[in-house]
Amino acid sequence: MIRLVGRKFAETGLFLLFLTFASFAFVRLAPGDPVLTILNVDEVSVSQEQVESLREEMGFDKPLLVQYGQWLLRFIQLDAGTSYVTGQPVMSMIKAGLPATMELTAGALFVMLFIALPLGSLSALYQGSWIDSLSRFLSVIGAAVPSFWLGLIFIDAFAVRLQWFPTMGREGVSTLILPALTLGVAISSVYVRLLRSNLSDALSQEFIRSGRARGIGESRLFFAHALRYSLPPVITVFGVSLGSLIGGVVVIEVLFAYPGIGKMVVDAIRQRDYPLIQGYIMVMALCVFVVNTAVDLSYRLLRPEWRRAGGGV
Amino acid sequence: MRTFQSMILVGLLAGALMLTGCQGSTATKEEETEGKHLSFLYNFATNSLDPHVDSSYVPLRAGITETLMKLDEEKLTVTPWLAESFEGDDGQNWTIHIREGVTFHNGKELDAAAVKDSLERAVKESIAVKNALKIKEMKADGQVLKIQTTEPFPEFISELVNPNTAIIDVSEDDIINRPVGTGPFELSSFSPGSKLEVERYKNYWDGAAKLDAVTFAFNEDASARTLALKSGQVDIVYRPEVESLESLKAEKGMVVDSTSTFRVHQMTMNMQREEMKDVNVRRGIDALIDREEIVDTILLGHAEPAIGPFLPSLPFAPSYEEDGQEDAVAYLKKAGYTIKDGVMQKDGKPLTLTLLTYSARADLPLIAQVFQSDAKKIGIAVKIRQIDVPEDYMGGNRDWDLATYSNLTAPRGDAGYYLNATYHPKGALNFSRAEEPELTSIIDELNRTVDQEKRAELSEAAADYVHDHMINSFILHPSTIVAYDGDRVKNWVTTKSEYYMITNKLDVKEP
Repeated sequence: MIRLVGRKFAETGLFLLFLTFASFAFVRLAPGDPVLTILNVDEVSVSQEQVESLREEMGFDKPLLVQYGQWLLRFIQLDAGTSYVTGQPVMSMIKAGLPATMELTAGALFVMLFIALPLGSLSALYQGSWIDSLSRFLSVIGAAVPSFWLGLIFIDAFAVRLQWFPTMGREGVSTLILPALTLGVAISSVYVRLLRSNLSDALSQEFIRSGRARGIGESRLFFAHALRYSLPPVITVFGVSLGSLIGGVVVIEVLFAYPGIGKMVVDAIRQRDYPLIQGYIMVMALCVFVVNTAVDLSYRLLRPEWRRAGGGV
Repeated sequence: MRTFQSMILVGLLAGALMLTGCQGSTATKEEETEGKHLSFLYNFATNSLDPHVDSSYVPLRAGITETLMKLDEEKLTVTPWLAESFEGDDGQNWTIHIREGVTFHNGKELDAAAVKDSLERAVKESIAVKNALKIKEMKADGQVLKIQTTEPFPEFISELVNPNTAIIDVSEDDIINRPVGTGPFELSSFSPGSKLEVERYKNYWDGAAKLDAVTFAFNEDASARTLALKSGQVDIVYRPEVESLESLKAEKGMVVDSTSTFRVHQMTMNMQREEMKDVNVRRGIDALIDREEIVDTILLGHAEPAIGPFLPSLPFAPSYEEDGQEDAVAYLKKAGYTIKDGVMQKDGKPLTLTLLTYSARADLPLIAQVFQSDAKKIGIAVKIRQIDVPEDYMGGNRDWDLATYSNLTAPRGDAGYYLNATYHPKGALNFSRAEEPELTSIIDELNRTVDQEKRAELSEAAADYVHDHMINSFILHPSTIVAYDGDRVKNWVTTKSEYYMITNKLDVKEP
């Protein structure tokens, strides 16, 4: 276990180095820099010389590698810099926005579990029945409908017409329900189908039949054996799709004015606020690392036989 | 089975975490329901309330902070606000008399020293403010503040309208989250990126506010803003979705208000291109723009056709005779072009123009398309090219003829900013690369002139020059649209400057 975590750390270190450099290069090679935003050229009279001199002062005229090296050196000393636009430390901005994004992600996962687990299980157990057709229908709809549109429909139905929930903001559970529902429904479609196919595969396995022959109860067979057998691939897909989940969070955060880091980074990209973009990428990479490690570790709990066979996944 | 149980446990834990995590700001909700309260929804979020750097100007807009000078929205001139009066005949040595009897929300008196400290901080924190003010030194004595600028700079007074120069008590600790200003409302809570709550400041110098409290919330999605108004969660919405205005108007009591802004959508012309060097070609292009059609079909009437860069109600806005589309051909003929086989050409070479546009302002690409189709009718081929950051592209590349662009022309009631940035050879927004000695000398003289009337004359002369030589062409002034619940909201004013929103006059109607 310790070796696995250690190896993960080493892999992640290399990966982060690559990722931060690639993102650094991409963002800086894209047209535009924050100088025009910082100088507020839209409202304050500025001369071309002032633009050039600030560009030099901020080091944007230096070679890419030098700029990256300077950033990395500071980052290793745990200094992610300050935002060009707000002048606040990047880490404190991320720390302020992260809880809201986590909340929304957790809420969406909760909704997803409540939809995908029963619907996936039932359609695997009763294949070809109406509930199977229903789940297929819902997952097609879920995959086809963009989440922001779904969100607008939910706002219109539950906030404007029924007045059950507020339309936006972040003030406790009442404001979390609609965005979590939107995001949860949007992502559950994938998992309903995945769980169904994995479960039906599990249910046809030898060990289920022999278990049944030994007189093990149906519910125990389902929950303790079949479900456990079919979860690892689902979890793997989840680890992989975490990125798209975070992408979905951005849209939902904007729509419901939920003050998370997704919304913050969209602004940062628009304004070319490099330190904030880099800080965000680092934090997200670390989150993905934590989730992936947790996914790997979860295999060992769910499929102990893999651990005995040598541990590699 | 144990695994399944532990999964449930983890799920419950996550749920509990979720619930505890988001209970932060429910306490303020109860206070809102007491007394007179309004909810306002704005279209830009901010994570910082530091008035000196926040580019959404929320502290000023929410009535927390004030500046030394203010824009008089009726006369469209600059008037003293926290200042009582000012002198500075030479354009470089300014004496500003600070209003007496003004207090910060913490009770401290506003004096010249406090103003000096605040301006010093603004200059230190924001390089844009530093550039805008050009302060060399300041001396405070009682209520008198003497400021010397680095050079004669007659625009100085109008630059003090800039919300980033707002006066705050800089001795307070947490300026990012709790700025202490002098406005009619003091901050009671702030959730970064989400909203702020303000309440009446009883000792406000210009008469305590009529409202007890205001919620100033942010939502960047136009359709979500409209729905929030429909649901009754908010009373006033800034820039609702244009497509849903009809349905909003149909609701009982709903008011949709729209006012032209100091912004102009313009057609920037690249004066360095061979074809564009001929003023008759530029006039032909200007005549081709069907302003009325663009206002009606693209902005659904929420705009004013532009005849020059400045809003016609400004004291220095000139007026011109407008050409019709039929004049376009006549101008091009003067330039030596003829239509052969349906193609506008000169010496056998067809007139083909490259038009830049960008999607950050959604109406600009549509305007480009209308222009393209109108140009086609008289045989001009227009190639539309989408770019990402217009300032960057136009600044560095010269492979284009025309560009749709949007500019603020007199954000602080003075033309100096726009003329210097757009038409002075040194200006950062001079994408036409206009180098017209006569125009430059008018702008240089404007930069030396203090007298307001003389400034207006010079500004008008510059605008006339731009029009006569057709350096850029002006399409329309877009409107700011605000929708509100007319049964509840009283005394709302949609301002042209978009600076002043929550005021001490704003009120609710008696039920």
